[in-house]
Amino acid sequence: MSLESKYNLKSPGVKRLMREAVELANPTEEYFATPLEDNLFEWHFTVRGPSATEFEGGYYHGRILLPSQYPMQPPNIILLTPNGRFEVNKKICLSISGHHPETWQPSWSIRTALLALIAFMPTPSAGTIGSLDYTPDERRILALKSKNWECTTCGKIAEKLENAGKIDAQPELTQEESTLIKQIALKAEEDANRKMVSSEPKIENVTSDEENTLRQRINPTVNTEPVINVETTVQRSNSDKLWTAAIWILITIIVLLIIRRIFLS
Amino acid sequence: MRMGDNNEGGLGTSKDEPQMNQDEMILAQQRQIEKEISDSIPLVGSLEPLESLNKEYLTDTVYLEKVKDLAKKYKFMRRTRPDGNCFFRAFSYANVEILTGKKEEFEEFYKLAENSKNALVELGFQQFTVEDFYDTYMEVLKRIKTAPTVEESKNELHTLFNEQGFSDYMVVYLRLLTSGQLQKEEDFYSCFIEGHRTVADFCHQEVEPMYKESDHIHIIAACAALNTGVRVVYMDRGTGKSCTEHDLPEGCTPTVHLLYRPGHYDILYP
Repeated sequence: MSLESKYNLKSPGVKRLMREAVELANPTEEYFATPLEDNLFEWHFTVRGPSATEFEGGYYHGRILLPSQYPMQPPNIILLTPNGRFEVNKKICLSISGHHPETWQPSWSIRTALLALIAFMPTPSAGTIGSLDYTPDERRILALKSKNWECTTCGKIAEKLENAGKIDAQPELTQEESTLIKQIALKAEEDANRKMVSSEPKIENVTSDEENTLRQRINPTVNTEPVINVETTVQRSNSDKLWTAAIWILITIIVLLIIRRIFLS
Repeated sequence: MRMGDNNEGGLGTSKDEPQMNQDEMILAQQRQIEKEISDSIPLVGSLEPLESLNKEYLTDTVYLEKVKDLAKKYKFMRRTRPDGNCFFRAFSYANVEILTGKKEEFEEFYKLAENSKNALVELGFQQFTVEDFYDTYMEVLKRIKTAPTVEESKNELHTLFNEQGFSDYMVVYLRLLTSGQLQKEEDFYSCFIEGHRTVADFCHQEVEPMYKESDHIHIIAACAALNTGVRVVYMDRGTGKSCTEHDLPEGCTPTVHLLYRPGHYDILYP
């Protein structure tokens, strides 16, 4: 491999990336990532849209840019396939990517970042920069379209994962990994949480129990409903009822007035 | 959960955002400061006479008085880069430096380090990355241990600890060992953690990430993990003419001596 002659193999960072390249060499059903032929510090990846979400059936391709101090500094993720959740061609900030370097841990890896990205896609975007708030239908359409999306470097991306499931059995998330992903997401959750709280004063009393439930939401294997969402829907439907009632009362009053006028005149 | 609001380093994005937001400016300034520090201060400096401290406090009588007191017990010091990793780097360095030239003790420590990986994996750390840090950690120890003379061992130690890649790997592995120790003896350490954090949360937020500064609890756990004791000499603006000494863990016979000034650790030599 040409990479081996190009880099100082004694450098721990280079060694680490070489290791990761070997570890991730075979595509799994959920993700595939590989370094560019001529640059160990830029990778391209494909992830499958998480099932039972509006991203199901979608294939999302992107770049991973590794800082020269990797793994001391976090990788940056850039999505290239239009997906309706993240802007394309922009660095994404999960709590593990470049904009919060203080929360990144050197013991995490590219695989960790990809798993976190998959788990994070269905979470509400909460209006943050770089996030997109497309409707589920729009996202479904994009998911469908993504099957034919092509990367100028890698070609048709759907094929990268298409065959993977047949070769490898679906790799189970180990206990340690799902805890890890929960940790990562938690940070982002807290952030999202804070934002929701400031815009929705009614949710201010989110207890730590609820926060724990929130943590679980990120784990793709646990199918808990997002607590905050439930609350906002309840709240919304309550206020909807109020409005409906008010409108009906107004209509009744108007009709009564009209009738009175007709009868009086 | 902010996304894509930063284009620093020209990495990745093709379009540059014209407006800089507050966060970016703070980040840029922080990077600038970090760069200045890393350009001017080596990761681990060379041996200096203790009196070199006087230069920092030319007009500060409180500190000058304390340096005088310190000089009664310590002749030399070695500065470390103030990057938030200073305790782990200083402790790691000083600990191995003492072992050079003490064959049996070094051998014993090497064995302790050899056995440390499995304990971490059992605690739930990602095997693949732990192995990565462990391998480099052992490689560094081996290179220092097998150098033909004590002099060369010390040179190797100094060279490796000043190579960012190796040096940071040493720091990460000691952070992992410290985290492992805290989690292994969770019941004991949980009493010292402020707020409503679990020991595991504390480790993920304050111990495992790089550049996070160390507190007493980090030091005690790190000492337990490496089976050694440290004396921390506190020098601050507090009353009295002498520095306060703390042996960690309490009552131990310390081998490593560290100078603590608010926010920073350097190595001391008798």
